[in-house]
Amino acid sequence: MKCVILAAGEGKRVHPLTYTRPKVMIPIANKPILEWNLINAINAGIKDFIFVVGYKSEMVRSYFGNGEKWKVEIEYVNQGEALGTAHAIGMVKKFVSDFIVLCGDTIFGKEDFKNIIKSKNSIGLVKVEDPKEYGIVELEKDNVVKIYEKMNEPFTDIINGGIYHFSFKIFNYIHKTKKSPRGEFEITDSINMMIKDTKLKAIFLKEWRDVVYPWHLLDANEEILKKIDKKVDGTVEKNITIKGKVIIGKDTTIMNGAYIEGPVVIGQNCKIGPNCCIRPYTSIGNDCHIGNACEIKNSIVMNSSNVPHQNYVGDSIIGENCNLGAGSKVANLRLDKNNINVILNGKKINTKRRKLGVIMGDDVQTGINSMMNVGAIIGNKCFIGPGSIVRGEIISNSKIL
Amino acid sequence: MCGIIGYAGFRDANKVLIDSLKRLEYRGYDSAGISVLHKKQQVYKKVGEIKNLEKNLPDFKGSVGVGHTRWATHGAVSTENAHPHLSSNKKIAIVHNGIIENFSKLRDSLKKKGYKFSSNTDSEVIAHLIQESYNGNLENAVYFALKKVSGYYAIVATSTDEPGKVVGARKDSPLVIGAGDNENFLGSDITAFLKYTNRVVYLNDGEVCAITNKDIKIFDEKNKQVKRNEEIVKWDFKDAEKSGFPHFMLKEIYDQPETVHHVIRGRVSEIDRSVQFNEKVENLLKTGLDSIHIVACGTSNYASLVGKYLIEKLTGIPVNVELSSEYRYFGTRDEKSLVIVVTQSGETLDTLAALKEAKNSGCRTLVVTNVIGSTATRIADAYILTQSGPEIGVAATKTFTSQILVLCLIALKIGISKNKIGADELYKYIHHLKELPKKVRQILDHSNKILEVAKKLKNANSVFFIGRGINFPISLEGALKLKEISYIHAEGFAAGELKHGPFALLTKITPVVAIVTKDSTYDKMIANIGEVKARGPKVIAIAEDDDTEIEKHADYVLRFPSNSDISSCIPIVVIFQLLAYHVANLRGCSIDKPRNLAKSVTVE
Repeated sequence: MKCVILAAGEGKRVHPLTYTRPKVMIPIANKPILEWNLINAINAGIKDFIFVVGYKSEMVRSYFGNGEKWKVEIEYVNQGEALGTAHAIGMVKKFVSDFIVLCGDTIFGKEDFKNIIKSKNSIGLVKVEDPKEYGIVELEKDNVVKIYEKMNEPFTDIINGGIYHFSFKIFNYIHKTKKSPRGEFEITDSINMMIKDTKLKAIFLKEWRDVVYPWHLLDANEEILKKIDKKVDGTVEKNITIKGKVIIGKDTTIMNGAYIEGPVVIGQNCKIGPNCCIRPYTSIGNDCHIGNACEIKNSIVMNSSNVPHQNYVGDSIIGENCNLGAGSKVANLRLDKNNINVILNGKKINTKRRKLGVIMGDDVQTGINSMMNVGAIIGNKCFIGPGSIVRGEIISNSKIL
Repeated sequence: MCGIIGYAGFRDANKVLIDSLKRLEYRGYDSAGISVLHKKQQVYKKVGEIKNLEKNLPDFKGSVGVGHTRWATHGAVSTENAHPHLSSNKKIAIVHNGIIENFSKLRDSLKKKGYKFSSNTDSEVIAHLIQESYNGNLENAVYFALKKVSGYYAIVATSTDEPGKVVGARKDSPLVIGAGDNENFLGSDITAFLKYTNRVVYLNDGEVCAITNKDIKIFDEKNKQVKRNEEIVKWDFKDAEKSGFPHFMLKEIYDQPETVHHVIRGRVSEIDRSVQFNEKVENLLKTGLDSIHIVACGTSNYASLVGKYLIEKLTGIPVNVELSSEYRYFGTRDEKSLVIVVTQSGETLDTLAALKEAKNSGCRTLVVTNVIGSTATRIADAYILTQSGPEIGVAATKTFTSQILVLCLIALKIGISKNKIGADELYKYIHHLKELPKKVRQILDHSNKILEVAKKLKNANSVFFIGRGINFPISLEGALKLKEISYIHAEGFAAGELKHGPFALLTKITPVVAIVTKDSTYDKMIANIGEVKARGPKVIAIAEDDDTEIEKHADYVLRFPSNSDISSCIPIVVIFQLLAYHVANLRGCSIDKPRNLAKSVTVE
């Protein structure tokens, strides 16, 4: 059976991280979101994949190639233009018969893949606390009756998880699908048509983690790190404390006085320490430097970035190739302990998180003793001058002096 | 200039072809067509923009096909003349961008063999030639068919006998391969297929390629298969229609090696030592010409002033250059004089009025324009196309150089028919014209030096441009380019005129750009530079490569390839275009749409 993964989207709601990579290529626990899905699907027994790509497709292709590294076959289809999920799935008509298809930016577990594979004409569903942001699903026993668009007052907490097992028939309905009010061809519209002729079985998903906004990456990161096993390939000097499950990549050196509390993953060729503190749920990419008197917790630091001197980084995402100046610090908790609001793409959003630090794009440099307030979002290639205070949304290529 | 596309893949070819043609519409839009291969060649063509083609497009099945958007050069704008063209047996469909110089000979011989022609285009012969050479392998047939063709071309072809295959070939016209997933593309440029793939394989001159949905094969000039790697194009979609250039103006400046080539190619022959236009034009230029009026506005007017120097020098016939808005109401009308009207768009209102006025007064009229089918071409007795392709930047660049070259060809043609130019002299001129694309490219390759000078000019309040002879109108154009896009006050002067007034405006902070060519005016120009320097301003000299003296006189020097010839002004114009562009860019001006200006001025 072929597995089609939709990986064409830009992910505008994950700006600034998606200015330089498609959403599915954002790293969580040092692997792109898409790779977690690939691994879970492979573990569930799938060997043939089709990635529907589009936005910055060359990054997906150059990372995954033809799948040799994972001992599977990966084929690509370019969506051409982002016209919606039905349009994306319609792309693979000539390449599949009975197939499963999933949104590549949501992480599905191995057992869920197995359950979906087993049951022809099925859909993965999830119960969530706040269903307002999702497609609502009406059920009759085990079968789906209708999928509704986002609702302000949803009648159920069961939502569409974004993974399906279709037969070739779905293409008849995709062909008939008209543009939705928001101007896209939605697979949910095709499904609603199909349900009238064919039963669609509901399968409740056990592991499901979607990423809508950047701070959801921290939740996904935490969830994945909980499942890792300890593995140390790098060099560990004396007088170091490593507690819990920690992965240390090859050619990485952990220097004297480092205190690492797992789960933590550290990539290859990094310099960690001396005298630093890395706390749980932290992912550090390849070629990074975490230096003296630095503390990092619950954060993602992408490849080639430095947190080198007297820094505090908590509940934050640091893009690739960033450098924090000595003493640059991140605030991650409001003094009144209220939930943190951010401004993203010019819109104010309540993150519903009590703790959130900075979301930093690629190639950002900060000067000494600069301060980033809770929920600051900094675009790519920004230049934060010494002693500056950063709050709100800073657009790419800005200079804060 | 036309746009062509080929597709072999899994999508509906209909949609891909229409989509891609829309991206290529900037290359021409007078008629368009597609052929989708599915058991037979399903052809649909329409006069007008791609929109027209799309409107009633039949629902062709199939995932292989070719498409074309046309900017007519041979044959009127009609559905018959639109591409694709089919071979006589209806099996082979081709689209073509370029000109087949020996097409009438080929057509006669093909007709004798019984091939049936259904259009007046030069391109159709290719379809029949491929049928003639076809022996079960399309890329071979294309290779051998093109051996018989002289001219320049990019073609894409399909055959019903090989339903999954699309074959392309190019010589002097652009064609690139887009490498997709389960699909491959051919297009006049990357824009055509960038939506579907950003992986590109470049095809060299003289090569043939064959694509299917799975593979790409390239064959060199000797028909031997070669390997070539993909390259990834990192453009934004928005940049794409500008071919990766930040502005249309810059793209159009960089189009000039190609457009300069297009004006000349097919019109001059080194071997026959001749200059050819179509019959109507030749008739106009042949008979008793006592005087010539050239009527135009703006940049076209400056091209006309250059034309005046060329025509007078090569033919001895007196030429009057008039502004359209003035000529409409004033000046003389003479039935014996030829009125040449120069207009890029063919729609400039003042120029149209002047043209009608001339026609009503009984003058013979000839239009030099970039747009076939434009109002001017319908009014005048005959027209000559500059063949530059659409120009989108408001500041005229490639159309200006093309207009000069058309006027230059007119001068040569009249000169020959009046026996003012001998065969050897003509050979020399033609030879120089043919070297122009290379010279223009040389300027473009050294544009960083021009950028350095632009940095010196960007804060000026006023800039003077001076030159003598043919370089006087070039100075006017240099000043016009600078003022219209950078908003710096700039004036062009005949160098000898400075002392008759303009010196009063010259201060230490008024840079002066001086064109110094190694001809009879050289010493005078050096003297003029001396006069200027005595008053303190910085002098930027535009001088020939081998001018070793000039550094002693000027503060900065920009070089152009040596050649004291009628066409040396073209590289100088390109320098001025780049200078204006860089100054405007440094000043942060809106380059493609300067304030208060419109591309085609259709009001009085």
